[in-house]
Amino acid sequence: MTFRQARWDEPDVWDLAAVSEPVAPPPVPGIPERLRRKAGVRWPELAELEVVRHYTRLSQMNFGIDTAPYALGSCTMKYNPKVSEMLARRPGAASLHPQQPEESAQGALEILWRLERILTKVTGLPEVSLQAAAGAHGEWAALLMVRAYFRDRNELERRTEVLLPDTAHGTNPASAMMAGFTTREIRSKDGCVDLAALRAAVSERTACFMLTNPNTAGLFESNILEIAEVVHQAGGMLYYDGANLNAILGITHPGRMGFDVAHLNLHKTFATPHGGGGPGAGVLAAGETLAPYLPVPRVVKVGRKFRLDYDRPKSIGKIKTAYGNFGLDLRAYAFALTHGEEGLNHVSRRAVLNSNYLASKMGAFLPRPFRALVKHEFLLSGAPLKAKGVRTLDLAKRLLDEGVHAPTVYFPSLVEESLMVELPETESKRELDHYIAAFERAVTDSPGNLRAAPRSLSVGRIDEVRAAREPRLSWKDLRAAAAKVETPPPVRPTP
Amino acid sequence: MPRWIPNEPGEEAALLDALGISSVEQLFTDVPKRARIGRLGVGAGHDEAEVVRQIDKILARNKPLGSFANFLGGRLTSRYSPAAVDAMVGRSEFYTSYTPYQPEASQGMLRVLFEFQSLWVELTGMDVANASLYDGATAAGEALLFCRRIHEGRRFLVPASLAWEEKSVLANYASGPGLTLEEVPFDDRTGRLDLDAVRKSVAAGDVFGMLADVPNGFGHVDEGVADLKGILGTIPLVVSADPLSLSVLEAPGAYGADVVVGEGQGFGISPSFGGPLLGLFACRAADVRSAPGRIVGATRDVNGLPAFALTLQTREQHIRRSRATSNICTNQSLMALAFVVYATLVGPRGLAELQASIAERSRTLASALGGVDGLQAPRFDAPYLGSFTVELKRGTAAEFLDRLRRKKILGGVPLADPRPNAGSTPERVLVSAGDATTDREIQKYARAAASALAAVGRSA
Repeated sequence: MTFRQARWDEPDVWDLAAVSEPVAPPPVPGIPERLRRKAGVRWPELAELEVVRHYTRLSQMNFGIDTAPYALGSCTMKYNPKVSEMLARRPGAASLHPQQPEESAQGALEILWRLERILTKVTGLPEVSLQAAAGAHGEWAALLMVRAYFRDRNELERRTEVLLPDTAHGTNPASAMMAGFTTREIRSKDGCVDLAALRAAVSERTACFMLTNPNTAGLFESNILEIAEVVHQAGGMLYYDGANLNAILGITHPGRMGFDVAHLNLHKTFATPHGGGGPGAGVLAAGETLAPYLPVPRVVKVGRKFRLDYDRPKSIGKIKTAYGNFGLDLRAYAFALTHGEEGLNHVSRRAVLNSNYLASKMGAFLPRPFRALVKHEFLLSGAPLKAKGVRTLDLAKRLLDEGVHAPTVYFPSLVEESLMVELPETESKRELDHYIAAFERAVTDSPGNLRAAPRSLSVGRIDEVRAAREPRLSWKDLRAAAAKVETPPPVRPTP
Repeated sequence: MPRWIPNEPGEEAALLDALGISSVEQLFTDVPKRARIGRLGVGAGHDEAEVVRQIDKILARNKPLGSFANFLGGRLTSRYSPAAVDAMVGRSEFYTSYTPYQPEASQGMLRVLFEFQSLWVELTGMDVANASLYDGATAAGEALLFCRRIHEGRRFLVPASLAWEEKSVLANYASGPGLTLEEVPFDDRTGRLDLDAVRKSVAAGDVFGMLADVPNGFGHVDEGVADLKGILGTIPLVVSADPLSLSVLEAPGAYGADVVVGEGQGFGISPSFGGPLLGLFACRAADVRSAPGRIVGATRDVNGLPAFALTLQTREQHIRRSRATSNICTNQSLMALAFVVYATLVGPRGLAELQASIAERSRTLASALGGVDGLQAPRFDAPYLGSFTVELKRGTAAEFLDRLRRKKILGGVPLADPRPNAGSTPERVLVSAGDATTDREIQKYARAAASALAAVGRSA
C-alpha cells in the first residue's frame, strides 16, 4: 500500500485568526436606521496568502478525477478536458451578462444554437432547450411539460400517475412528486422492466413512464420498443432519463426508442466538470408533441442572426435565472466539436468495452447479478462478504486506501449490498488493470483491515450517525457547542 | 479521434481478447436492430488547435462587458473578482470531484461547504444553511415548497415588483402541488410593499408563506420588510436578499425571516451569460428536517478527530424517493467555493466598504440621470444600494436601450415581461452602478440618454 493522501492539520478558516466581536458597519446614506446592520458580519480578516494556503491545503485533501480513477456508477466520471476550462474563461465567454442585448451576444447564442443542433441529433428528438441547471431540474421541468400537455387535452384530472421501475434513480420519483404526480413502482425481472407488470400497471391514469436505458443495473432494456408501445397505447408519455446516455451514443437514441421527452446531463456524457457535486448542466429534449411546452426563451436563428424567442404561447415559462449554464454548455460544445461523428461513436463503444472488461475481471471476486452483457456500468453484490463479517461499506472504504475512488454503493437497492461500477472511456487499460488489482487487494484483505479502513486518508472512518444525531451544521453551532449551551431547538410539528 | 480516449496500439484488441470476442459490436447485441440508428450526422471531429480556433472565432462575435460602459445589474453583476478566487476554483482536486459520497476521501470539499454554510448563516442571522441550490430563482422556488411543508395553506404571496423571471420560476414551483401565487401591490410613489394589502391577504386565510426581496425588484430597500413578520405571525417569511447588501443591512434573521434565499453570483463567479450561478438557502434550526438540498455536518472520525460529512440525508431523494423534501441531486459546490473564497479575501470590512462605494456611485448616477428630460430617475422615491428603476416618459425601453448600445453603453435591464401575451407595462429599466463605474461613464450615460430621448421625441 503506497498511497497516502495529504493530511494537513488545517484549522477551519475562522480559527486561522482571532475573530473579534464584529462592529457595526458605517451607515450608508439613505438607508433607514432600522434596516442598518447593528453587528457586522462575523468572519475573519486574513491576508491573501493565508487564504490561498488554506484552500490549497483543503484541495489536497480531496479526490478528483485528475488524481484518481473515480468509479462511481451512474456518475460517468470521465476526464474533464483542460481546453474546455481555458475556453470557458475567455472574456468573450465569462464576461457576458445574460441581459446584454442579443446583438452583443451573437457568439454566445450561436454556441447554444449549435450545441442544441448537435443534441437533437444525439437524442433523435427535434427540439432542445439548455435552460435546465441539472438532470433532476430537467426531469421536473419535463414533467411540468407533460402536465401542461394533459391539461390542454383536459386529461389532467385523471392522468395523475407517474410509473417508474424499481431501479429508477431517486430523483425520478422525487421529481414526479414535485410536479404534482403520484408515483408507482414497476418491479424488475432479471434486472429489467417486467413487461407483464408494466402492462398490468398502465391505465388511463398513466401520465408518464420514466425510464433510463441502459438502466441502473447497467443492462440495456431490450424490450424498449414494446415498452414504448404499451405506454403509448395507454395514452401516456415516455420519459428518458439521460443519466446513462454514455452507453448509447451513435448506437441508438431516445427518439428511435420511442421516447417523447428526455433530459441529459452534460456533466456526465459531455465531460463538463461536476465541481464537487455541482454545477451540473441539464438538457431538455422533446418530440413534436411536447416541444411547444419547452421553457422560454428558445434560441432561434433568423437569417444570419441568433435571437432569444419568447413567443411560445404553450411554454411552461421560466425554470431558472437566464438561459442555462452557458459556461458549461460551452465546455460541452468543445467536447462535441472535438469528438465529431467518429469520436462520439467511439465514446460509447469504448465505455462499454471498458465496463465489460472490468465486469469480467471484478466478477471473479464478487457475484454479478443478472446477465453477463452489460453496458457502461455494472453491479456486483457484496453479500458474500457478510460471511467474513464485513460489508460493502467496508470494501468501499478499503478501496479508498488504494488511492482509487469507490464505486457507488447500496444503489440500486434490488441487489443486496450492491456496488455499481463505472469507469468511462477516458480510462486506459493500464488504469483499468490498476483498478482491478486494487480491488483484488481490497476484497481479499483481512476482515480486520477492511473494518479499519480507511487509514491512508486525511481522516479515518467517519461517524456519520453522530453527524445526523447531533447536527452541527455551521460555525455558529460549533461556537454554541463550545459554549456548552446545548439546549435542543424546538421542533416545529409538520402538518 | 481525440486524445482523451486512450488508443495505444493493441490496447483495444487486448480488451476484446480478454472478453473472448473479436469486435466491439458484439457488446451491443442486446440493442434490438429496430432500435439501432445510422450516422448521427454531427460532422467530423477536430484536433484541439482547430477547436480553439473555431470557438474563438464564434466568441469573437460577442462583445464582452468590458467593451461597454456597463450599467447592467440586479441579481447578476459583473463585479471584479480577485484572481486568487479563480485560482482556487481552478484547483482540479476541487473541480474534477463528484458529490462527496465517500466523505473520508473528500474532506477538502466538505470543509469548504461547511465554511460556506457558516458564512451564509453569519450573513443572514439564520441558524442553518444548506450546501447551495442552482440559483437565486430556484432557491426561492424551493423556499416556497419548504414553506408549504412547515405551514398549511394554498396561497403564497410575492411582491408585484418582483422580477417577471422570478415570478415565472416561482409559478412553476407552485404549479405541481396546485398552489397559487398572489401578487401584493406596491405604492406607486415609493415602490414599497402595500402592507395593508398583506394584512388583508393574511386575514382572508389560507396563506402558507410570503416572499419579499431585499433590495426589491425595482432595486430599492423597502423598510417595510421589517414589519412583515409582525403581520404574518406564524406564516413563514422568505427573504430573498442580495448577499453584498447584507454587509450593511440588518440580518433578515433579526427581523423574523424564517428562510433567507439569495443569488450568490456576485461573490467571485463570472456572469458567463447566466450560468453557472449559486442559490443560497438558510432557515431556522427547528425546520432543518424540512429543508431541501445537501447539508454538511461536523462530526468525528473513528479516532475522535474532527471530520465532516453530508448529513440529515433522510430528507433527500436518494433515500426518501417520492417523499423527499426535493428532487435536487446537484448543488453548486464549486460556486460555493468561489463565494466563500471571495468573501474571505475581501473580508467583512471590505464587503461593507464595497457596498458603500457602489451605493455612492449609484447616487451619482441617479442625480446625473435625474436631470435628463424624458426620464424619471429614479422612478420610485425610496433608498437604494446600487440599482434603481428609471421610467421613460416617451418611447420604448427597447428602443432606448438599443440607442445606448450603439454608443457602447449597456443602459440597464428592461423590467417588462418579454412574452407576447404578458400584457403591457410601463417602460421601466433597472439601472445599476457597479464597483467599476466611473464618473466619466456616468456623464456619458446621461448625455446619451438625453440624446436618445430627444431623438424619440423628434420621431414621435
